[in-house]
Amino acid sequence: MTATWALACPRCGRADLEETALSERGAVAAFTVLSVPGDEFLNDAPYAYVVVELDGGGRVTGWMPSVRSERDIAIGARVRFVPGYKPGVQFAKESEGAPPG
Amino acid sequence: MREAWVVGAASNRFGKMPETGREAATRVSLEAIRQSGLEPKDIGYTFVSNCFGLTEKQGHVGPLINGGLGIPDVPSCTIESACSSSSAGLHEAFVHVAGGFTDAALVVGVEKLSHLDTLSATSYFAEAADYAFETKNGATFPGLYATLASAYQARFPMKPEVLGSVAIKNHANAARNPHAQFQKEITMETYLNSPMIASPLRLFDCCPFSDGAAAVVVAAKEFVKKPVTEPLVIRASARAGSITEMQDRPDLLGLPATRTAAAKAFRQAGLAPGQIDFLEVHDCFTIAEILAIEDLGFRPRGTAGQSEVDGETARDGKLPVNPSGGLKAKGHPVSATGASQVVEIFEQFNGLAKGREVARTETALAHNVGATGGSCSVHIFSRR
Repeated sequence: MTATWALACPRCGRADLEETALSERGAVAAFTVLSVPGDEFLNDAPYAYVVVELDGGGRVTGWMPSVRSERDIAIGARVRFVPGYKPGVQFAKESEGAPPG
Repeated sequence: MREAWVVGAASNRFGKMPETGREAATRVSLEAIRQSGLEPKDIGYTFVSNCFGLTEKQGHVGPLINGGLGIPDVPSCTIESACSSSSAGLHEAFVHVAGGFTDAALVVGVEKLSHLDTLSATSYFAEAADYAFETKNGATFPGLYATLASAYQARFPMKPEVLGSVAIKNHANAARNPHAQFQKEITMETYLNSPMIASPLRLFDCCPFSDGAAAVVVAAKEFVKKPVTEPLVIRASARAGSITEMQDRPDLLGLPATRTAAAKAFRQAGLAPGQIDFLEVHDCFTIAEILAIEDLGFRPRGTAGQSEVDGETARDGKLPVNPSGGLKAKGHPVSATGASQVVEIFEQFNGLAKGREVARTETALAHNVGATGGSCSVHIFSRR
């Protein structure tokens, strides 16, 4: 799973980039709970779309099928990356424990 | 550089067009040219925007429009910058005219979406986002602005009524605008009871899907000589970009491209925000209007919501914002939006904004955003 794509840093312009492993855990920096989904998520709404500040640096986006209401999530909530059943990046709440299987 | 003027500007009624995009674009173009006192043969270049033309099985629409105007030998090209397409077209026209390459240029934006269902339209809108790192992860266009809203609210807590006041004000303005899709006022109760689309954004926080067309004629001052309308002097035509994906931006507050384009525009114009009489800003969602007012420098970060609640942004307020009704209520036919903002400013300057006049019309600013701020245009106009 890749978090972004660029040939140079969009912040400083330097082109000597290298691949680095990111933490699978982090905290929600921003979120929304979508009632009206995009066409590739038709059968998944409601779900959360999140921007996650990863432990040790890096910010990524993903979706959270387990969050079905804005009351189930907050900025700062702890989340972790989980293997998803769709191509996108999927997160679950840290408190949810390991996914089945 | 020559002084460039907007000498004509026309729009159809946004909402649902019975005719094709190409027909509507040609019709508003002729209307804008006639209004300017020029003839189609005076046009030296046509800049067309039509993001979703391919849904009508039509690309390369510029020559069709010019053909329909009786000027098939005039060059044209299509300018695409998502929701900021026709303000990008206006910028190109400005560059051509001010730079002396063309005496008069036509800018026209058109969109037809009403033949698509909501799901397809939502998906087409999302194409302006980053498919790999936003859309594939579940984002929609409302979802991305909702995410920005959540980051803003975390810093500056805001009751739902604050966003609601933006929607109510813009509907009140659109109710007096014959070009608007929703010529109907709404109440706070209607707003609060509307369904959540992407928290915290409700249905009435979102601009609608719209058909529509708008055209602007830009001409060199020395070419026009005796204008038949009150021209808008283009004091600044500035554009900027920012990282498309909000997760890669240094912060999630506002849109960096707006801040960059605004700084350039105020420098070009030699004006400060306090000298601008009214604004047309890109309120694709209510939160976007609040972010725009702050990013453009009209209010400090975290305070524009209170200005909305206090009525400062109403037509009779200290800083009228979106007297047209904005994208929210006038409608948002993507490629026509940037040009239609100029139509509103033109009508305000020319006493044509009957029933929705703002008090002072010496200067105005138009702010048009592509997607979630990957692109932004800021234009500043003044009287001669």
